[in-house]
Amino acid sequence: MSYALIVGEVRRGVFEERNLDSFGLCSLLGKEAVIVIPDGPYSFNERLADTIVKVKTGEEMFLNPLNLVNIIEQVINGRGKPDCIVFTHSSSGMESAPYVAGTFGLPVVTDVSAINKDEGVFYKSYYSDKIFGEFKCTGEGPWVLTVRSGSFKDAAAEKADRPKTEHIESIAVSDKRVFVEYVEEEKTEIDITKAEFLLSVGRGVGNKDEIPTYEELAGMLKATLSGSRPVIDKMWLPKPRQVGTSGKTVKPKVYLAMGISGAFQHIAGMKDSDCIIAVNKDAGAPIFQYAHFGIIADMHKVRDKLKDMLKS
Amino acid sequence: MNIVTFTKRVPVTQEEELRITGDGEAVDLSKLPYKVNDWDNYAVEEAVRIVEKTGGSVTAVAVGDAESDEVLRRAIAMGAKDGFLVEMAQAVQDPFARAALIANFIKNEKVPFDVIFTGVQSEDDQFGSVGGILAALLKLPYSSMVIGIDKVEPDHMVIRRELEGGLQERVRISLPCVLSIQSGINEPRYVSIMGIRKASKVERKVFQGNAYEEGAGAMIEAVKWVYPPRKEGAMMLSGELEDVCKNLVGILKEKGVYQ
Repeated sequence: MSYALIVGEVRRGVFEERNLDSFGLCSLLGKEAVIVIPDGPYSFNERLADTIVKVKTGEEMFLNPLNLVNIIEQVINGRGKPDCIVFTHSSSGMESAPYVAGTFGLPVVTDVSAINKDEGVFYKSYYSDKIFGEFKCTGEGPWVLTVRSGSFKDAAAEKADRPKTEHIESIAVSDKRVFVEYVEEEKTEIDITKAEFLLSVGRGVGNKDEIPTYEELAGMLKATLSGSRPVIDKMWLPKPRQVGTSGKTVKPKVYLAMGISGAFQHIAGMKDSDCIIAVNKDAGAPIFQYAHFGIIADMHKVRDKLKDMLKS
Repeated sequence: MNIVTFTKRVPVTQEEELRITGDGEAVDLSKLPYKVNDWDNYAVEEAVRIVEKTGGSVTAVAVGDAESDEVLRRAIAMGAKDGFLVEMAQAVQDPFARAALIANFIKNEKVPFDVIFTGVQSEDDQFGSVGGILAALLKLPYSSMVIGIDKVEPDHMVIRRELEGGLQERVRISLPCVLSIQSGINEPRYVSIMGIRKASKVERKVFQGNAYEEGAGAMIEAVKWVYPPRKEGAMMLSGELEDVCKNLVGILKEKGVYQ
């Protein structure tokens, strides 16, 4: 039976939930799911896998593209070529998937968020989710894929039988790229994950001088000010105020997003908020697909009008 | 330290409605303004900053049509010494094909480097794959999501990679290597029109892309373009701004976050 090789992601001893999307994709494709993971004391629902290949190495050694190609080669030498090699579309997946594709000369499609099994196509985002491309493989497989978090997890299905477990006792380790340590974000007084009401600003804010005016608005509304990636990248707000996968995941009662278009990394960090209100002048902004209430307007005009109203 | 850094010209799509032409054959980009890919801008800045400290030079390379000269002039205005255009009549969609073309170019033209920078991804196709494939093809160590370069030594660098949830990973990587630079690593310098005009006087070399196509055939193909599936979406508050804002405050009160 044809199989899919899932490269499992374990960080700081935790089996990342986004691995479920990789299992879900395999279920949809009807492939036997073989997951390769570093050996360790963490737990996950093993019934999702047909085979678990445990590699005797630490997670930092495992999630290193230079070592991972050796591990994948060992797995393939043992069981033959898979139909696809599946990564999560995370920091590690985005790093390792292309390196694996380049090493073995394989086609790669990243950020896969949907499939059509009958037509054999994968869907991938373009232009910040405004358009999707349908991709077909013209060369020989296996395909190397990274899957968007949240896209397939509901399709992950338990198998009838308990999984088989196999072990890889030793791997070739590169000395050209070596893990040194994890670096934690500095602690700050304001914790946006604890706020009930977040006013979040994005690229649309335009320039740094506008930030204090939104701080003022947040003060008037008794909201906490947060931001999306472009605002943090420009250092207009400090990193601990960032909402999104590389920042914080928040679930406030109200999330008021102003000038945020809604890249999926941002959506992933705020989609479980009780009430999402989006203000954006671009009617086609993806955030309107996830918001409960939407306002198509210039954020600065909305800011000025709100301030006038709240003052009186 | 000699650094080769890739820069790409991309359409500005943030506030534009994109149209698919025919039966999903193409995306109409003809009326869009273009700019430098954000991630590449950070990469050029990082390269220039390193070379300002260590000496050596930055070479900016663009793969694209003649218009891409614009992003090379920009890179030179920021501090790159040379600008190379690998001219392609048509955009190369498959990241594998693009990386293979680049690998051939670097090998054939013997472009000297200690480090190659790419942006983590480009704003248009968001593949995020060229750097990793290129590293593998050149048999060099690789790291992506680079959000800090803490130490530059003749034979290695100590870098920080961005992981999830504010966590970073510090990594020691041997040179030569390929690094994909994450946005936010620095604050790119302002580039004035005067600066770009001055940069125009520096000669940019043009190489014909089809000379580097061996082994660079496409392995994947976008067979169709589609709009994203529409969800139920938001309830839109419309009308006069005054009424819209009153409505908004009403919702805040109803949700109990504003009195």
